[in-house]
Amino acid sequence: MWFGQTGQMASDKRAARLGVLAAVAVLLFGALGVRLWFLQTVEATDLQDSVEVERTKTVRLVPERGRIFDADGRILADNERILTVGIDWEVMRDKNDRSQLFKRLSGWIDTPVAEMERRYNANLYSPYLPMPVKEDIDEPTASALMERSEDFPGVQVELGWRRAYPYAPLASPVIGYLGLIPEEQADEYVRRGYVLSEQVGSDGIELSMEDTLHGKWGEKVVRVNAAGQILEEISRREAINGQDIQLSIDLDVQQYAEQILQTQLKLRRTFTAKNPIVTKEEKGGIKERIDPSSPPEVNYKAPAGSVIVTNQKNGQISAMATYPTFDHRWFNSGISGDKFAELFPGEDSEGFDPDKATLLNRAVQGQYNLGSSFKPFTAYAALHSGFMEPGSFYEDQGTYKMRSIDPAECRSGRVRCEFRNSNCGDSNLPCVYGSVNVQTALAVSSDTFFYRIGEELFLRRENLLRDEVKRWGFGQETGVDLPYEFDGRVPDDQLKRDLIASEALDPDTDVDRLLAGDNVQTAIGQGLLAASPLQVAQAYAALGNRGAINTPRVVRAIYKPGVPNGTPGYVDLSKAKLVQSFLKGGVSSQVPIDGDALQAIVSGLRQNITGPGVTLPDGGVRSTTAEELFEIGYPEQAIPIAGKTGTAQGSKSLPWNDSSAFAAFSLDDTRPYTVVAYLEKAGFGSQGAAPVVKCMYLALSGLIQTRPVELADPLDLDSTEVAADVPAADTKCLESSNFDPNPAD
Amino acid sequence: MLQRKPDSGLGNIRSSPGDPSRNIDWILLVVQMLLTIAGCFVVFSATRTEPNIDPYTYVTRQVIFAIAAVVLMFIVMSIDYEWLKERSRLLFTLTVGALLALLVLAQAGVGGGVITDIAFSVGPINLQPAEFAKFAVLLVLAGYIADEGLSEISYPRFVGALMIVGIPAVLVIAQPDLGTASVIISSVMGVLLVAGAKLRYILIVSALSLFTLLTALASGLVNSYQLLRFRVLFDQDNPELGDAALQVRNAIRAVGTGGVFGKGWLQGDLTNGGDIPVAWADFPFAAVGEQFGLIGCGVLLFMFAVALFRVWRIAHLSRDLLGTYICAGVFTMMLWQLFQNVGMTLGILPVTGLPMPFISYGGSGLFTYFAMMGLVQSVHMRRMR
Repeated sequence: MWFGQTGQMASDKRAARLGVLAAVAVLLFGALGVRLWFLQTVEATDLQDSVEVERTKTVRLVPERGRIFDADGRILADNERILTVGIDWEVMRDKNDRSQLFKRLSGWIDTPVAEMERRYNANLYSPYLPMPVKEDIDEPTASALMERSEDFPGVQVELGWRRAYPYAPLASPVIGYLGLIPEEQADEYVRRGYVLSEQVGSDGIELSMEDTLHGKWGEKVVRVNAAGQILEEISRREAINGQDIQLSIDLDVQQYAEQILQTQLKLRRTFTAKNPIVTKEEKGGIKERIDPSSPPEVNYKAPAGSVIVTNQKNGQISAMATYPTFDHRWFNSGISGDKFAELFPGEDSEGFDPDKATLLNRAVQGQYNLGSSFKPFTAYAALHSGFMEPGSFYEDQGTYKMRSIDPAECRSGRVRCEFRNSNCGDSNLPCVYGSVNVQTALAVSSDTFFYRIGEELFLRRENLLRDEVKRWGFGQETGVDLPYEFDGRVPDDQLKRDLIASEALDPDTDVDRLLAGDNVQTAIGQGLLAASPLQVAQAYAALGNRGAINTPRVVRAIYKPGVPNGTPGYVDLSKAKLVQSFLKGGVSSQVPIDGDALQAIVSGLRQNITGPGVTLPDGGVRSTTAEELFEIGYPEQAIPIAGKTGTAQGSKSLPWNDSSAFAAFSLDDTRPYTVVAYLEKAGFGSQGAAPVVKCMYLALSGLIQTRPVELADPLDLDSTEVAADVPAADTKCLESSNFDPNPAD
Repeated sequence: MLQRKPDSGLGNIRSSPGDPSRNIDWILLVVQMLLTIAGCFVVFSATRTEPNIDPYTYVTRQVIFAIAAVVLMFIVMSIDYEWLKERSRLLFTLTVGALLALLVLAQAGVGGGVITDIAFSVGPINLQPAEFAKFAVLLVLAGYIADEGLSEISYPRFVGALMIVGIPAVLVIAQPDLGTASVIISSVMGVLLVAGAKLRYILIVSALSLFTLLTALASGLVNSYQLLRFRVLFDQDNPELGDAALQVRNAIRAVGTGGVFGKGWLQGDLTNGGDIPVAWADFPFAAVGEQFGLIGCGVLLFMFAVALFRVWRIAHLSRDLLGTYICAGVFTMMLWQLFQNVGMTLGILPVTGLPMPFISYGGSGLFTYFAMMGLVQSVHMRRMR
């Protein structure tokens, strides 16, 4: 139609040329159309899926870890807000971009490029959070980085938390510390909603109460544009902060316990034990020193020990000291791996001395013979099983010959049939206590009295002794709210089989079933019997609580998150909202014990403290093991206690390897403290552990001026000490003016 | 002059053929207006979720631009294109002067915010000499060739034409604004083709353009960002290309996921959510494709086809060569820019940042195209004389 109107066109050629133009247009439109058709029909479904991922971003919201307080509300574990530099994963995908960014960033945040690369490759950090490259930068650096965000694309400064321990190193092993998630537990933690790069409780309360303290991660889903800018929030689930925990630990008591333990151990190292001359049958009866390679007097090593103070009414632990110990701030101090290995040598590192292991909470993990401090429970077994009455007497003649072994066997020397009391004084002869009953046998710690019980109970029923003492919690976990608890050992067939199988016992000379001889040893807390100081504390607390066994606990209460701060170093507990309290305790079981039996045992333990000793047939008086210690410097107003010393023989029964134990409970219901001390290789119970317990009771009675607890100085990163020494305690209470230790423990 | 509708009475008799106001191409005008209105909606949908600004900021400005552009168009329409041609040399000289001044001043670093690489900024107004250049070059070139009056352009005229076009083209490339330069060259190609240029002339222009482009690349005039966009075309999934590739990938996804019927008005997560940087200027077609699907895209392209057809038709109807050449130039310019913009959105052409005629956000683009349309209408209105 319009072609007909082309009169003004110069020629038909022009129309043709315009036709070419039209053809080009049709061609181009065709190309667009085809592409469009293809894109919106054929490829549409494939594209649909991939879009979802890029459009939204999930950002995880960190919960604040619950804090830990002591019984008075002192903040033992706190959270500091820190600034962390992180990099978005997006911007690090390309290797070149990444290394350039790392290089630029390195100087600003004082982190080597290699370290950033290591973290990038560590496969440890959550893809939902920027990869952290530097924790705890200062404000100026943070703002400088943010101002240069164009130079540092994808680099973010975020608020985070860091654990702080204001009173470190006090109670470090109890409180514990945080560490990376162990590789073998990674799946488990992730399943529980953790982020792999998180710090989780690795010891102490931090570990055992991890679930309570941790809280729950929140999450927000945001819509982002191509530049990664957040456009809007689509959904948000707030993080739930961890609950706050109050411990039963009273830092005043705790500090004093740590001080007195450390002071006494160091003091004990200045004392010596005799290297006595003995007749050695195995060497043809020659007389020589028990250890010919050592000098006549050998210093006690006194390397380690522990003290526990617990409330016998509810199981709440007021203090739990262990030595040697560590400062839990090392674990988040950012020190190098080499430095860490130097501070905390592993068991397999060269020259490692288990006596010096610092990461062991000996109060719950210690595996000890108890010596005579076990005797009250042997006495209970004898009374409860009906073997003897509280008034039954036995003539202690210094030695005990087993009646159940064929005398021919005994003479052959293959079986040990004769057991004796420990030597009296410097003589090489065993003490003789004459006529003793349960009470006096406990007071003077007659071994033969208990040897006999060991054999007689075995003859009645092999596992009778085991079953009776297990009622007091031996041989099983106490269920304390601390990790890695030693469950103890009470000998029976199974134990012997296990020990032989693991070659802890010699398969050639030992028998894989319980023998009467084993029971004799068990009866005085020696041999294969082993317990942790905490088990001893639990059992003694039960003695002071009429046989009711409380599960020992370090946690006193759990509060809703966000208990506010009070005066510096404290929280304001009056504003805390209680979730759960453990103050009432939890009686896990009641030991069946009648009044007379309990009376006999408690009286014996009381007599051990107060005396008098026993009058010997020759008219002499043999004092009790603790009597002289408590005679001086333990006034009337101090907490009245009943207790028992224990001396556990150590390696090769050398005198300087004796470990020292003392356990006592209160007879005053208003001050119901049970105190246990165990000092390794520190001599007799009355010399090493008993003075510590005495000092503790004097402190608990308010008769010793203890140092005020102070906030810790910052950790000295150059120090080579695993834990700074606590200031020495006054040693006055450790001494006794005319203290001539009764060697018979 | 628009107060009266054209007579639609007895058999469409043009009662007064000499009166230009009675010969407006209403179809072209309506289609163009529809496109512009559609553009405002697209701009709104793509800018609504931009952070930190009022959701109506962009679209309000676009509407104001459009109103101003309409006024400009009517001014151009009311002027005889012959009269404009007479003054085209002055316009051309002013444009080249402005391009030169901008280049020199920008290089010298004088600016203080008033002078950028591509524009003089005076208050809220950005004057881009390159936009004037599109208009001026077309007008002066069409006039120069039409003056010869031959059915086939002679060689001397061709060389003259090259020189006329070359100066501003090089200045625009030097800015560097390859996109605008390509638009100018495309219009020149259209004019030359219709003017009867031999195939070898066209080849010469192509070769020269290519040479200029390569020179620009070699001399480092073209920055690495533009190079990157070329690479993106061939290597979209390469993560090294970063945001540039992401922009294109997301644009393709937006169009693709729109499917046949689209996700619906404001339901396009990608284009409405800000996932495609500056979608309102560079990728409006992605927004259309995502929200309205194949059908929406088809309607949009159909409207462009109608507009192009009307321009092409006016080239036929023109009373003189000048009108034909002007329309041919506008036709190729619009075709090229549309193809380039949609092509880059669909991932078959490199990203150049050329806006989509009538649709994309931006005053300069609207003014240029409305002025061009004014010119074309002027040719149509005066075809009877």
